[in-house]
Amino acid sequence: MKIFPVAIIALSLAGAAQAAPTVELSSKIQVEKQLVVNGKQQTVLRDPKPVFPGDRLVITISYRNATGKPVNDFVVNNPVPSAVQFTGEASPGVQVSIDGGRSFGPLSTLKVRKADGTIRAAQPVDVTHLRWVLAGAMAPGATGSLSFRGVVR
Amino acid sequence: MTKRTHSERALCPILTRPGLRIGLAATSGLGLLSAAMPASAELTRAGVVINNTATASFDDPTGTTTTVQSNTVSLRVDELLDVAVASANSGDVATRPAVQGEVLTFRVTNAGNGEENFRLTANGAVGGNGFTPAIVRIAIDSDGDGLYDPARDVAYVAGTNDPLIAPESSVTVFVIANIPAGLSDAARAAISLQAQAVTGTGPAGTTFAGRGTGGGDAITGATTADRTASGFLRVSAASVEVIKSATVADQYGGTAPVPGATITYKLVARTTGSGSLANLRLGDAIPDGTSYVAESLDLDGVRLTDAADSDAGSFAANKVTATLGTVPGGAQRVLTFKVKIN
Repeated sequence: MKIFPVAIIALSLAGAAQAAPTVELSSKIQVEKQLVVNGKQQTVLRDPKPVFPGDRLVITISYRNATGKPVNDFVVNNPVPSAVQFTGEASPGVQVSIDGGRSFGPLSTLKVRKADGTIRAAQPVDVTHLRWVLAGAMAPGATGSLSFRGVVR
Repeated sequence: MTKRTHSERALCPILTRPGLRIGLAATSGLGLLSAAMPASAELTRAGVVINNTATASFDDPTGTTTTVQSNTVSLRVDELLDVAVASANSGDVATRPAVQGEVLTFRVTNAGNGEENFRLTANGAVGGNGFTPAIVRIAIDSDGDGLYDPARDVAYVAGTNDPLIAPESSVTVFVIANIPAGLSDAARAAISLQAQAVTGTGPAGTTFAGRGTGGGDAITGATTADRTASGFLRVSAASVEVIKSATVADQYGGTAPVPGATITYKLVARTTGSGSLANLRLGDAIPDGTSYVAESLDLDGVRLTDAADSDAGSFAANKVTATLGTVPGGAQRVLTFKVKIN
């Protein structure tokens, strides 16, 4: 079951006509709802007005290289809002931080020292920041999106 | 769920930017993790705004690093209406027939994320009840000691003092009831307490636009914002049955009830039931035409003095009496005394 699209999709962002010499970045949040359509359970994404504890969110960051030149070392960083709990699901290549963004790595490599001094493996709930580091150069005009799931605490 | 605590800290910086490049095409197990991730035990309060902003950095062909920021998406968290009710008594509350003001204790918990008033309803006519307790009043524990204090814990009036409960907090609620008379031992009855969010109730997902804490919407959660729980009363009664017998011994070695013969009376008291009998006294008048034999009163084979003193027995006004105090069900007491036929 692949829920997330491949991270880089060669689409142009609608309406991104201005020629600001930068990489444009936009974020949006949608709520996943389970609906029964024609007797079949379906997951639909909706633009939320209010949200409620327990709602499942999909947070998507879109980007476009509008510099007109190739860029290197493109790194996207998204702090997880404090009222949101990361589910562990994110676009491939994600590195996570459990220390407020000071250090990053795959979740499976991170450890937490508990109050009693013992050490446990980090869980998605511990994640404070997500980061994606894109390998190589990004061509002028290239676009893509990255997403992750969270639940409203 | 695990809660993020400040006493836990992350260990070992593993990667620093951009020391390890992770290509986006790399396969990652993260996408295959279970989707079932329940919300944390601590709910985000109604009215909190979730802001999300991403940042990115990149190097242009000259090696200059630029940092850009995305738009900020803001989402308001609105009120989730949920409630829980539970009996706070450790089991059945023992009661007796005709008791006035028996107290059952409940906990009502606001399981939602906004401050909410709850409407309370108590009912003694619950299906399957062995008797029907008469509800006298509901009262809210005003000082939080969990004990009903009629002077301080004012009576609840629906619509007037519906308790306002903070999110993920509880109040103790007392239901006071009178017990009918004439109940048999072990009769059992439930009293139910229902709590409903004043904002509204309904199947999960029922929305009350603009009526949530903080001015947003309110929506019912899995509890439908309407929950009922029962506490139980069990009657603990006891009864006593006394059997009297007599044996005659005449002065000639026979059993003829002739003048001068001695009659030994035996009173056997048996109690039954799960309760106990308070201030149980066993006594008998000396029959006409006979005279009590002084110092002949025995209780369970132990001699009792005739004087009204520290032991349980006495002889006065031509009557024998044994004061037995509180006797539990299932006990037997045997009182004997002697009289002489005049």
